Amino acid sequence: MSADALLEVRDLVMHFPVRGGVLNRVQRRVHAVNGVSFDVRRGEVLGVVGESGCGKSTLGKCLIRLLSPTAGSIRYEGTDLAALGHGDLMPFRKKMQMVFQDPYSSLNPRMTVREAVREVALFHGVVSRDAADAYVSELIQKVGLRADAADKFPHEFSGGQRQRIGIARALACKPDLLVADEPVSALDVSIQAQVLNLLMDLKDELGLTVVFVSHDLKVIEHFCDRVLVMYLGNVVEELDCERLHADARHPYTRALLGANPINDPADRRPLTVLEGDVPSPFTLPPGCAFAGRCPVVEPRCRAQRPPLELKTCGHAVACLLEPGA
Amino acid sequence: MRERSRKFLSGRGMRKLRRDRMAMAALAVIGVYLALALLVLLGVPSEDAVQERVAPDNTPGFFARGTAERRLDSAQFHLDSIQRSVRSSDPAKAIAEHRLGTLQLVQVSPEELESRLTEAWRAFDAASALEDDIESPAATARLDELDTAIDALYVQPTGFAAATRFAQLALGTDRQGRSILLRAVYSAKVAVQIGVVSALIAVLIGTLLGAAAGYFGGWVDHLVVWLYSTFSSIPWIVLLMVIATVCRGDAFAPLVERMPLLPVYAAFCLSFWISPCRVVRGEVMKLKELEYVQAAAAVGFGRMRILLRHVIPNTAHLAFINFSLLFIGAIKAEVILSFLGLGVQGTPSWGVMINHAKAEVLNGFFWQIGTATGFMLVLVLAFNVLSDALQDAFDPKHV
Amino acid sequence: MSATRTKAVLEVRHLTTGFKTDRGVVTAVDDVSFDLYPGETLGVVGESGCGKTVTSKSIMRLLPEHLTIYGPASEVRFEGENLAFASEERMRRVRGDKVAMIFQEPMTSLNPVFTVGWQLDEALRYHTDLDARGRRQRAIEMLRLVEIPEPERRVDEYPHQLSGGMRQRVMIAMALCCEPDVLIADEPTTALDVTIQAQILQLMANLKERLSTAIMLITHDLGVVAQVCDRVLVMYAGRVIESGTVAEIFHAPRHPYTRALLDSIPKSGARAHKKRLPTIPGIVPSLFELPAGCRFQDRCAYKERRCVDAEPGLEGALGGRQVRCHFPLDGGAA
Repeated sequence: MSADALLEVRDLVMHFPVRGGVLNRVQRRVHAVNGVSFDVRRGEVLGVVGESGCGKSTLGKCLIRLLSPTAGSIRYEGTDLAALGHGDLMPFRKKMQMVFQDPYSSLNPRMTVREAVREVALFHGVVSRDAADAYVSELIQKVGLRADAADKFPHEFSGGQRQRIGIARALACKPDLLVADEPVSALDVSIQAQVLNLLMDLKDELGLTVVFVSHDLKVIEHFCDRVLVMYLGNVVEELDCERLHADARHPYTRALLGANPINDPADRRPLTVLEGDVPSPFTLPPGCAFAGRCPVVEPRCRAQRPPLELKTCGHAVACLLEPGA
Repeated sequence: MRERSRKFLSGRGMRKLRRDRMAMAALAVIGVYLALALLVLLGVPSEDAVQERVAPDNTPGFFARGTAERRLDSAQFHLDSIQRSVRSSDPAKAIAEHRLGTLQLVQVSPEELESRLTEAWRAFDAASALEDDIESPAATARLDELDTAIDALYVQPTGFAAATRFAQLALGTDRQGRSILLRAVYSAKVAVQIGVVSALIAVLIGTLLGAAAGYFGGWVDHLVVWLYSTFSSIPWIVLLMVIATVCRGDAFAPLVERMPLLPVYAAFCLSFWISPCRVVRGEVMKLKELEYVQAAAAVGFGRMRILLRHVIPNTAHLAFINFSLLFIGAIKAEVILSFLGLGVQGTPSWGVMINHAKAEVLNGFFWQIGTATGFMLVLVLAFNVLSDALQDAFDPKHV
Repeated sequence: MSATRTKAVLEVRHLTTGFKTDRGVVTAVDDVSFDLYPGETLGVVGESGCGKTVTSKSIMRLLPEHLTIYGPASEVRFEGENLAFASEERMRRVRGDKVAMIFQEPMTSLNPVFTVGWQLDEALRYHTDLDARGRRQRAIEMLRLVEIPEPERRVDEYPHQLSGGMRQRVMIAMALCCEPDVLIADEPTTALDVTIQAQILQLMANLKERLSTAIMLITHDLGVVAQVCDRVLVMYAGRVIESGTVAEIFHAPRHPYTRALLDSIPKSGARAHKKRLPTIPGIVPSLFELPAGCRFQDRCAYKERRCVDAEPGLEGALGGRQVRCHFPLDGGAA
């Protein structure tokens, strides 16, 4: 437990019951997050990467308590958020906000930018009613929009501009922690760069701590300090982004790195191809979740679930084949 | 707020709507009906005016020439009623008060009137004598003389009174001699009133229940779904009849006395909330998964606030479309209910008119049923066209 | 490139596609010309709204006919025949048989109520004269060709029993089952995960080796282009703004847009880590309000008077290096 941890997540589990049948009984459970532990350090950008269905978005929503986890704890400066009810959470809601993926559905189409941003600021009492308009104008300029954007409706903006509005809304209550769930995935490349730069500037200026959830390893690598690699509800590797290419040791992380096309036709090499697909999240294999697709699998992998073990300082791997530090 | 409505009117949907010529024509037609309804509310024509006798029974409108027999019958009606006034105990008073719509008797001495009446009776007898050969030119000449003699008994209206007289008789009279045009116009108010009130309340109930069911899920959803499944499994016309009958019971008598349309409203609201409820429930279930609703939850807003501020306003287009559908639904249902004798009572309505016309049609008096049906048809058609156009313009799925 | 010596299988000339909208006719693709040679992969890249998908759908004539207007000079020559104005009946014969297409969304491109085999069989029945047994044999062969394990079993499964990657393979099998000369792939891997994308890209590379199909790959992902394409067209606001071999485009971009687009992708390696990315300011202009001169002028770092006054022409020989810019870059390394 490090002193500079803003958020300490321990053994977090999130299962979704799937109901069905005549009696509407729980028939099976989706194991979205399956016992995950990590710290989010104050002021860092923590990336969470993985393929669809790996539980990264669910994890992000648990962190800000949009979802109530099935088990485990989420300690925010010592208080366990997982145990709190709606009223007790309120002071923490102000400190944690989320930026969403889809710029087209993340804004209420019937509210102007001003209404959407002011609502949040007033609700948490960040500004007085009189000062609210000035505050909103300042904020939307800070995210790179013109002041006259305030009285427009979302449909009058492009995808990138909407994402800026989403960021302004998230920042309206002056949070410490920002969870960004695929904030640039729906944007064009040139707009992606604009939004990433904006997030980077705001993080420095406001001293934010950011959890950045994405499927795009290139973006994560560029933007984050540390990365959690998730596979089927588990963290399989945790390491510094700067050492990602050099040090990644989990076969899945290596496969992800190798499967990403490189932007240089001269450096063309066969992509790493994993056999098969991600297994169903309804029934988890008893051993390593990655065993079914792992290129270096051994018999013991199928029997025993590997724990996430610290290999070197700041580098943890969950693989039986990786010797400890 | 002004900014907001300006934006709405210049929005894409509105622009699309304004480009649709049919929709604009329909809107104009609806505007005319609304204007008529407003006129009635202001007292033109008044409740009394539509109940009073303005001419002999079943007088055809300007579009149909009466047969010779009908001319004779109608002359007899005029002569009999004047005779009654002249022979009454206080002839001077009776003659002064004698009215037939805007017609009044000529202001001459009773003796003079008496002699003109005798003259007219003589003409009547002359025409009646030719009854066996009533279509002959000779008989027609006699009938024309008879009409002239009757005209001489009345003050011939001029100016505004003449126009009123023309309007009263334009589409003929029913079997109690009441003006069909005025009754049809008055019914437009009843129809619009029933349409607006029941559609508004039904959409309101439907939206609130549907939104609550879709948003909260769980037992609220079960309850609402059970409720509308039960209601919709009863054939709606039976439901309407039951509710209308119950409302006519003694328990509700004082209320119904004051608001004669109450049973109709009650019946319509209880059976019409189902379709907006269903649609809104589905839409809300979709909306609540959207990221802006999640964002509102992440801010810490309570569930009611999210529902009222972020979810329900985004179902407004459904309310709009449903209102226009239910409005015509209510008007049509009113006609059916009144036709069955369970609907509107005491005031004219298109349904009541059609009901009354049942017997007349057999005798070839089609103008009452024709007028009531025509008035209803045009309004319903205009609304159908408009609601289709609304759906095209505002449904995000039609781009 | 040896391909230039053989005859082009698809020649597109002056393709112009407009749509009737509420606000008048908007030109989504403006005077696009290119050749496609057997055995090559042509990448068409650009941001959303640049006209790349409309180009492909215009070639297939898959746009709603009553809303679409093709410019009178438009030519889509396939074996010498201009398909831009061919009858719908003729197009039905051509689609699938000679030109096939795969789409972005593998979840909705297959009909959920029929088996994979049935859907393959349908295409074969329409375009070949094989008997039932022969068609089934062919369907299984096709599934094997796209590297689906146990094709004998998979052929009788329904789409929902397959994963996203499998479905995209089935789509490719369907597209290839009548041995088309041209395969148009519209963002075939965008909806897929990276590891599945790698599988599909590998598959497409393998297929290109084995069959001599010409592939037109439409994508916004420059990494995919670098990985599999031979030549590239870069589009912006309905226009081709640069074309060349993949090495030329990536190593020596001449249009400021291409250069800026390449620069704005996050790079791996410690050198670029946590640095601000070079960006292209502003947004793509609305097709309703295109500027008079160069369409990129508002976002261009090298804008000059001439760029506002006149739109540059596309300089260079068709099929070779082309650039649409008054002041092309000298082509230093990106």
